[in-house]
Amino acid sequence: MTEIRSGRARATAYVRPKQTSRAVRYADKAADIVVTVGGLFVILAVAGIMIFLVQVVVPLFTGGSLNESREYTLQRPEGASLAILTDDTNVLAVEVLASGKTRAVHLPTGTVLASPTIDLGGQKITAFSKSIRSDDFAVGFADGTVRFGQIGTRSTLIKASDLPPNLVRLNDLDQTDGEAVFHRRDAEQFQRTTFSVILNEPQAVAPAGRAIAQLDYRVGGTVERPTRSFLTKDGDNVLRLTRAETRVNLLTRRETTTLESATLPAMSGSGTIIGALMTAQADQVYVARENGEVLRFDTRDLGVPKLIETRRLTADGVALTTIGFLIGEQAIVVGGSDGSVNVFFRVEDAAAGTSDGHTLKLAHELERQRAPIRAIAASARNKAFATADATGVIWVRHSTSARVLMKLGESSRTEVASIGLSPRNDGVVASDASGRLRFWAIDIPHPETTLQTIFGKVWYEGFPEPAFTWQSSSGNDEFEPKLSLVPLIFGTIKATVYALLFAVPIALAAAIFTSQFVHHSVRAVVKPAMEMMASLPSVVLGFIAALILAPIVESFIAAVVLVFIALPMSLFAAAYLWQLLPPASALRWDGLPKFMFMFVVLFSGCWLSYAAAPGFEAVFFAGDFRSWVNGTAGSGRPFLVLLLLPAGFLAASALVRRALNGAMRDRVRQLGRTRAGLVDGLCWLLTLVAGAIVAFVLAYVFTAAGWDPRGGVLDTYVQRNTFVVGLAMGFAVIPIIYTIAEDAMSAVPEHLRAASLACGASPWQTATRVIIPTAVSGIFAAIMIGMGRAVGETMIVVMAAGNTPILDWNVFNGLRALSANIAVELPEAVVGSTLCRMLFLAALALFVMTFVLNTIAELIRQRFRRRAVQL
Amino acid sequence: MNAPTFGPTSYHPTKGERTSLEIKDFNLWYGAAQALFDVAMDVQVGMVTALIGPSGCGKSTLLRSMNRMNDLIDNLRINGAIRLEGDDIYGPAIDVIGLRKRMGMVFQKPNPFPMSIAENVVYPLRVDGVTDRALLEQTVERSLKAAALWDEVKGRLKENALGLSGGQQQRLCIARAVAGDPEVLLMDEPCSALDPIATAKIEELIDELRGNYTIIIVTHNMQQAARVSQNTAFMYLGRLIEYGDTKRMFTNPIEARTQDYITGRFG
Repeated sequence: MTEIRSGRARATAYVRPKQTSRAVRYADKAADIVVTVGGLFVILAVAGIMIFLVQVVVPLFTGGSLNESREYTLQRPEGASLAILTDDTNVLAVEVLASGKTRAVHLPTGTVLASPTIDLGGQKITAFSKSIRSDDFAVGFADGTVRFGQIGTRSTLIKASDLPPNLVRLNDLDQTDGEAVFHRRDAEQFQRTTFSVILNEPQAVAPAGRAIAQLDYRVGGTVERPTRSFLTKDGDNVLRLTRAETRVNLLTRRETTTLESATLPAMSGSGTIIGALMTAQADQVYVARENGEVLRFDTRDLGVPKLIETRRLTADGVALTTIGFLIGEQAIVVGGSDGSVNVFFRVEDAAAGTSDGHTLKLAHELERQRAPIRAIAASARNKAFATADATGVIWVRHSTSARVLMKLGESSRTEVASIGLSPRNDGVVASDASGRLRFWAIDIPHPETTLQTIFGKVWYEGFPEPAFTWQSSSGNDEFEPKLSLVPLIFGTIKATVYALLFAVPIALAAAIFTSQFVHHSVRAVVKPAMEMMASLPSVVLGFIAALILAPIVESFIAAVVLVFIALPMSLFAAAYLWQLLPPASALRWDGLPKFMFMFVVLFSGCWLSYAAAPGFEAVFFAGDFRSWVNGTAGSGRPFLVLLLLPAGFLAASALVRRALNGAMRDRVRQLGRTRAGLVDGLCWLLTLVAGAIVAFVLAYVFTAAGWDPRGGVLDTYVQRNTFVVGLAMGFAVIPIIYTIAEDAMSAVPEHLRAASLACGASPWQTATRVIIPTAVSGIFAAIMIGMGRAVGETMIVVMAAGNTPILDWNVFNGLRALSANIAVELPEAVVGSTLCRMLFLAALALFVMTFVLNTIAELIRQRFRRRAVQL
Repeated sequence: MNAPTFGPTSYHPTKGERTSLEIKDFNLWYGAAQALFDVAMDVQVGMVTALIGPSGCGKSTLLRSMNRMNDLIDNLRINGAIRLEGDDIYGPAIDVIGLRKRMGMVFQKPNPFPMSIAENVVYPLRVDGVTDRALLEQTVERSLKAAALWDEVKGRLKENALGLSGGQQQRLCIARAVAGDPEVLLMDEPCSALDPIATAKIEELIDELRGNYTIIIVTHNMQQAARVSQNTAFMYLGRLIEYGDTKRMFTNPIEARTQDYITGRFG
C-alpha cells in the first residue's frame, strides 16, 4: 500500500485528482432534479387526466339545482285556472282561465301585462286539453260543442334600432310596451316575446245541452294531411272519439275536412271519471276512474272500438287523483290520493289474456309525496315531469331513472291550480286560486342518468321488460336516449376474450419455440420480425379485417373452421414424418430445407382445408355452415360428435390402458419389435374406434336431451363478427404477448436449462417443467398486457365488429366496445350534453379497466423480477 | 514463458475393474479454434478421476463433451470418439437424452430448480413419468441420505430449494444427479462457489459415493484432487499431458509440466 501511495510502483502515468469536479457534481444534481421533476410530471399528467375525467362525469350523477325562486301575490283570478305555460326563455308566463280570460306575467318581476281575452261568446269552458309538444289546444263547452285553436308564446329577434319607442323598463334586461316583453340578448339584439291565442269556430260533438266534461286532443298525421283527434266525455258519461282529417287540394288550395266519429262501448261499473287520454294516432284510449280503475280501449278501427282491459292502477283504498301521458305517449303517470306516483307501460304480454296481447304494467314506482297528487306537468323534451300535491308542494321527477330531481315549495300549504314545466325544462311555474304565482328557475342537465340507469337494468318505454340497452340517438324527437354502459363493457370483454383465445396459444407457442427450440440466430431474426408486426397500425388491420378478411371468412367459413383442426394436424403429421427420416439426412436438411418444408406443410394444410371444406360442411353442418348456425338447417348432432371426439378418445384410451395394460405389457414384451409395433398400432386403432363410438353415443344422448351446440356461443352468422375481430385483434396482440413472454422465458437462467437437460429431460420436458413454471409470472404479465392492449384497441373493433351493442356471446355476431363507441359517437356528442358526458364516462371506465389490468401485470412482473434475481 | 512443446503423454493410471468411459483421439474445435487435441484416456469404473490443469486448458470442455452438453454451442466440430461402456456417444444411433440419463452432472454453481426440495430430487423420475408415490418418497430419502443432506432438510422437504445455503444447494444437486440412477457422475468444479466447510462436506460425500458411481471431477484445487481422486489427468493447452495414479502424480510426476503446475510454478 505504501508503495502505491508513494508513487514508486504505479501502474499508470495518470495522476488522478481525488476530488469530484464541480461540473460533475452539478450535472449530477441537475440530472437528479430533471429526472425527479419529469417523473412527477408523468404522475401528475396521468392523475390529471383521471381527475379531469371524473370531474366531467360527476354532473351525470348529481340531481338538479335551484337557481332562483320567486313568489308573487297577484290579483285573484277571474275563474278557475285551466293551464299555465311559459316561453322558451322563462320571461313570460301565461295562464288560461275558464272564463276565457288570460293572464300574462313577466316572470322576473311579477308585472302583469296586457293579454287578450278569448271570445267565447258568453260560454264557459268545461273541459280543456293541450298537447304536450305543440301549441294545439281544444276546449269543450257546456252546450256540447268543442273549439280548437293554438295557444302559445311567440319569440322573434329584433335589432336594437327597431325597438318601438316609449318602452317601460321592467328590469335591467327587459322592457315592455305593455303587451310584449323585449328582452336584451346583447347590445345589438332584443328578443320580443308575445303571447297569442287563436280559436276556431265551435263544432258540435255531444248532443245539445250535454256539457263536455273531459277532453283530450291530439294532432297527428303529416303537415300536408294533418289529422286531429279528440276524445270527449259528456255529462252522460258517453265517450266519443272523433277524428278529423284535413286534405289540402294542391291545385285549388281548398281544404276539405272529413269527420269520423265513434262512441266507445259503455263502461261497466261506476265511479267518477277523472281523466281521459288518447294517443296521437288515436288508436288507444285510456279512461281513468277515481276508484283507481283505468279502462283501455282499442280504437284502431274507429268503426268498432273495443274495451281491452280494466285494471286497477292504485293500491287498495287509494283513489286515483290524476293521470297523464309522458312525452311519446307510451307511459302513463298515475297519481294517487296517498301521494303515490307510478309510471305504467303498455307492454306486450300474451299471458295477460287481453284481446290485443298487451297489458298495462307498473314500470317505475316513484317516491311518494306526502299529500294526494293533484296535477302533473310533463316535459316536452324528455321523460321528466312535475307533480304537485294537495299542499302545493311540487316535485320534479324523472320517469326512467325513477328519481326525484327537485323538491320545490316544501313549505307550501295551499293547493295549486295549475303547474307548468317550461319548454326547456329549466323552470317550473305554479299558480293557485288565491292569485299567488310561484316560479322556480331550475337546472337539471342530466335527469336520465344515475348509477342504476348506467350500470343496471332499466325499463324503457316500448320494451317488454327491464334491459341493458345502449341506443344514444335516433331520428325521432320523442326518442329517449338509452345509456347503459353494460353492453359496451360486455362488448369490450367479449372482443378481448375471443382475441386472446386466438392470440395467447399462438403467441405462447411461438415464444416457447424461439426461446427454447431454435438456434439463437433464428431467434435474432424472428423476434424483431414479430415485433415489427406490432408496428402495423391497427387502423390498417381493421381495414383489412373489415373489407378483405370478413368477406373471405364469410365465403369460406367451413374452410376457416377446418383450418383450425387441419393446420395443427398436418404440422403434427409432418413432425412425425421428419422423425422417421434417417438421422444423417435429418441433420443435413436441418436449416433452410426444414424451414421450407414447414412452409410447404402450412400451405398444404390450408389447401387441404379448402379442398375438404365442402365435404366437411356437408357432413357436419348440413351442407351450409351459415344456415346451420342460424338454426335453420340440420341438427346439432354431427357437430356434437366432432366436439366430443377428443373427450371420447381420452376416455376410451384411459379405459383400454387400465383394462389391458398389465396383461398386454407382458405379452407384448415377448413379441418381436415389428409384431409388438403392430399390436400397439392395432390397440391404438381400437381405442380410436371406441372413442368415436363413445362420442357418437354421448352426442346422441345429449341431442335427445335437447342440448344443441348452437345457441349461445354458436349462433346466427353476421358478416362483421367477433370471429373476424378475434383474428384481426389477435394479430395485433400476438407481438406484445410474444415479446414479453419470450423475454420472460429467455430470462430463465441458462444453468436451470442445463440442469434439466443434464437430468435427462428432453427439451420439451425442460420447457414445460422448468422454463414455463419459472417464467410463469412473466408469461402471465405478458397475457395481461396483451389483454390491456385488446381492451383499449379501437380501430379494429370500430371497423370489423359491426358496432351492435348487444349482450350476446355468439362468436358470429357483432359487438360494440367502449373504445369503438367513443370513436363512433363522438361526432354526435354536443359538448356538455348527457351523451358527451356518457362518452367521457365510457372513457373513464376504459381507463380504469386498462389501469387495473396494467397494474396487476406490473405487480406480477415485479414479483417475477424479484424471483428472477433470487435465481 | 517459452512456447510449450508436447512430448508423448505419460500414462500410468490405476486400473479399476474395467473401463467405464473410453476417450479416443478426441479433437474438438470451436469454429476454427481447436480446444482439444488428441485426448485419449480410459476412465476406470467406480473410481474418482480428477481433471486438473490451468484455466482454459479444456477440462470443462472435455467433461461437457462426455454427456454432449456441448451440443448447443455454435460451430462445434469433433473428431475421434468417446465411448460409454462401449457405446459411441457421438455415434449415429445414440439417444442423447438416454445418454444423459446414464450420466448425472453437477455444475460449478449450485443450480436447484425453483421448486420444493423433494421435487428437485425426484425431477429425473418425474421426467420419466414415474407416478408411484412410494417410489418417489423412497427416492427422496435415499438420494438425500446419499448426498448427506437428509438430516438437515428432512423436516422441510416441501419448502423451496432456493432457501437452502450454497453448500446445501450443491449437495441437493448431487442428490438430484444421484436420484436419476446414473452410471457416471460428472462434476464440474462442484466446490468452486462454496466455503471451506461446505467444500469439506462435498469432498467427504464424493469419497462415500465412490465405488457406486464412476466420478469425474474437474477441479482447480490441487489439494482437492489429491484428497478425493484415485486417478488424475493433467491437461494443458487442450492436451492431456499426464494421466495417472493420483498419489504418484502428486509425489512423483513424470512430466516436467505436471511437476511445474503441481508445485505452483504456473497455473
